Parts: sequence; C-alpha cells; structure tokens
Amino acid sequence: MVFYLIICRSLTYAQRTAKVLERAGISAIVMRPPVKIPEKGCVYCVKISEKRLREALIALNNAGMSHGKIYILYADGSGAEVKP
Amino acid sequence: MIYLDNAATTLHKPYTVSEAAQKAIRRMTTPGRGGHSASMLAAETAYRCRERAASLFGVNSPESIVLTFNATHALNIAIKSLAREGSRVLISGYEHNSVVRPLNTIGARVIVAVSELFEPEDAVRAFERRLGGAELVVINHTSNVFGYILPVERIAEMCKAARVPLIIDASQSAGVVDIDFERLGADFIAMPGHKGLYGPQGTGILIARGGKTLIEGGTGGNSQLPEMPDFLPDRLEAGTHNMPGIAGLEQGLKFVEKVGTKKILAHEKALVRQAADGLGQIAGIRLYKANNEENQTGVLSFNLRDLPSEQVAGALSERNIAVRAGLHCAPLAHRSVGTLSQGTVRMSVSVFNTKFEINRMLNHIEDISKKIK
Repeated sequence: MVFYLIICRSLTYAQRTAKVLERAGISAIVMRPPVKIPEKGCVYCVKISEKRLREALIALNNAGMSHGKIYILYADGSGAEVKP
Repeated sequence: MIYLDNAATTLHKPYTVSEAAQKAIRRMTTPGRGGHSASMLAAETAYRCRERAASLFGVNSPESIVLTFNATHALNIAIKSLAREGSRVLISGYEHNSVVRPLNTIGARVIVAVSELFEPEDAVRAFERRLGGAELVVINHTSNVFGYILPVERIAEMCKAARVPLIIDASQSAGVVDIDFERLGADFIAMPGHKGLYGPQGTGILIARGGKTLIEGGTGGNSQLPEMPDFLPDRLEAGTHNMPGIAGLEQGLKFVEKVGTKKILAHEKALVRQAADGLGQIAGIRLYKANNEENQTGVLSFNLRDLPSEQVAGALSERNIAVRAGLHCAPLAHRSVGTLSQGTVRMSVSVFNTKFEINRMLNHIEDISKKIK
C-alpha cells in the first residue's frame, strides 16, 4: 500500500494533527518516519492513506493548523517529497 | 490519621491515580524518545494529560500545556520569562515565596498592592492605584494561607486594558475554582498537579503562550540544532519527563472533570463552614474567615489565644490530626494580615474529607484549648 507522511515540527504537534484528522474521519497514525525518508533529527510524522491526503489538508486548514513537508511512502519503505 | 493539610498536598487520591502511575513505571519510557511502543505509550498518555488540562482550563491548544515538576518550577519559568533586574513588578499582598523569591533573585522592583483580607473590592482598588508603570503583574488566585479568592478576573481585565503582562499563580485554585485561560488573557498560569488536581507529587502545569527556557537539553525533537526549539511545549520541557507523575495527573484531571469543580468547591465550602461554626464556639479561637463565602475556598486559618501556631498543630498531630502551622511559605500574606509573629494553624480540606472528620477535629481542639493554658 501507498501512504502519505505529513512531517510535523514536534511530537505534540503530530499528536494534535492526528487528532484533528481523526475527528474528520481520517485514520492517522503518529510515527517516526522510516529511515529512507530524508528527515534529520528526531522528527515525527502522521501517516495517512494515499486516498485521504486532499481531505486531510482541508481538515488541517479548517482547524488553522500548518504542516511540514509531505512525503509519499512506497511499499518498499522508500519515499519522495510531494508538493500537494 | 485525619488529614487536613490538602493545601500542601492532597494525600488521598482517586485509586486510578496510583494505578496509572504504576502502569507508567512498568510500561512507559518518555515521549519523543523513539518510535517504540514504550515511548509512544508515554507520548499518548502525556498528550491525553495535556488535552484534559486544556479542556479544564479553557486553553485552545494542548501544546500550551507545559508539564513541569511543580508550581514553583512553573512560576520560575513564567517569572524569569517576563521579569528582569529592575523590572517594576506588582504583586498582591498574599503571594507565596514561590513568587517572592524568584522576583527577589532577579532583582525586580517589587511593589505590593496592599489590601484587606477577604475584601476583593479593596484588592481591585489597590491594583488600580498601583498599575501605572508596572511592567508585570503576578497574582495569587487563592491565598494558600487564608483560602481568600482574589478578584483575578477583574485584575486581568485591568492588565489587558493597560497592556501589562500577567502571571496567575493558581496553586490553590486549580481543580477547585473555574479558570479560563483564554478569557483571562493571562500570559502564564502556573499550578501544581499534586493539590486540587489530585495528581502525584512532582507534577505541575504551566499554561503558556511562549516563554524563556529555565533549563536546556534534550527534547526528542529538532535534535540537530544546538538551541532549544522555539515552539511549545518542547521549548520549556527539557529532559526526561516524570511519566509516572504525568500518568497519575492525567487520571487526577479526569477525576476532577468527572466530579466537577463546582461540586468540589461546594463540598469544601460546606466543611469549612462546619469547621468555622464549631471553632467559633470554642473560647479563645481567633478565626480568619470570609463574611461572604464566595471569597473563600476550603482553607481555613485560625489561632488559639496567643499560643504559637506550631504548639496547637503539634498537639493535634499527637492526636493523629494533620494540619499545618507557621507561615506556610507565605510570610507576605501573614504580614498583610498581622499574623507574622504567631503564624496560623491552617486546616485545608479536599473532596475526600468528611463532616465526621471535621467533628473529630473540633472535639480535639476544644479539648486542647482546655488542657493547654
């Protein structure tokens, strides 16, 4: 399966992001990015289904929340930054 | 033991508090230190604690809930963020040493808005008179010595209008009196976890909009940078968290949320009323009680004749009744009321105290008053 990873500035912010998404009916998991994602220094992200990115960004925007970089995560653990 | 020293620390907690603390010791590490289940469980618990606190205290974002080790820690962060040497800082006459000592250490110019005990209108006037030129106001929501509820809402309005930063010490009011951070517009509100929030010792909360670091170190984020993150709560939470404490505090907050502060305050006021009525019947008792019950929480100070307060508290302790005597780390409050040399005997209740316990205390004080001459 393919997922999107929304990079967050802190663990707490990632948790808040996940809560906002869950309230919008979007399943979201807080996690450390896989090693192949080129983010340095104890970063956390929120993982969502590839089908829900657009909805997720709308939900975050409606909640007044910003987000960091977004990566697409492939099944083999590799990823690439995307510009939604 | 009949425990009536809840203004220091609530001894009796909901059983879920110790259960949660034990679970944290067995299963959790600390938030932001790895993606493994022990760290993530800690992260989820800490976040729930922030969410509950944010909900209880009218805070828009859980990130504004900074988890500290006690109210003194929280107040030190707040005061040292806003005051510097020579700052003109206006405080009430009922502040604790956790406010007075940091201000003294910084070298701030402290101005006391002197006002009468249990006279909120007098407090408002005192702040009005002194607010001009103040660079910071620090005010106790409720006096730890007398249970006096100061008119923080009105003083917060004044600070807002005059654009003077405000720090509220909610050590005695959190969990008992309603607090709405966003409505008050304060810059910081500091509180302990181990009193009216029924959490374990070693926990506290600072509600913040920003702030300067008191200590620096690992935060589990932005690790490549030599400086502390510029966002909350990470900026003000360096080092490993007190997870057993935070897990317990989360349950304490849940308990307060479930019972409700109005119900808790009503229960405590009823016990103080009972104690005051009973003490009023005992010859030689001098009571520090509000005429208007609205102005007092579950804390009641008294003295027996001119006896040293420690002597009376000692006699009660021998009968297995725990109260507090002396200055309660708040000499300024005693100076304001004229009890600096004698101190006071302070009884302070929690939601777990009963009428039976108050009756027992009254019987013993009556007996002590006859035996000690």
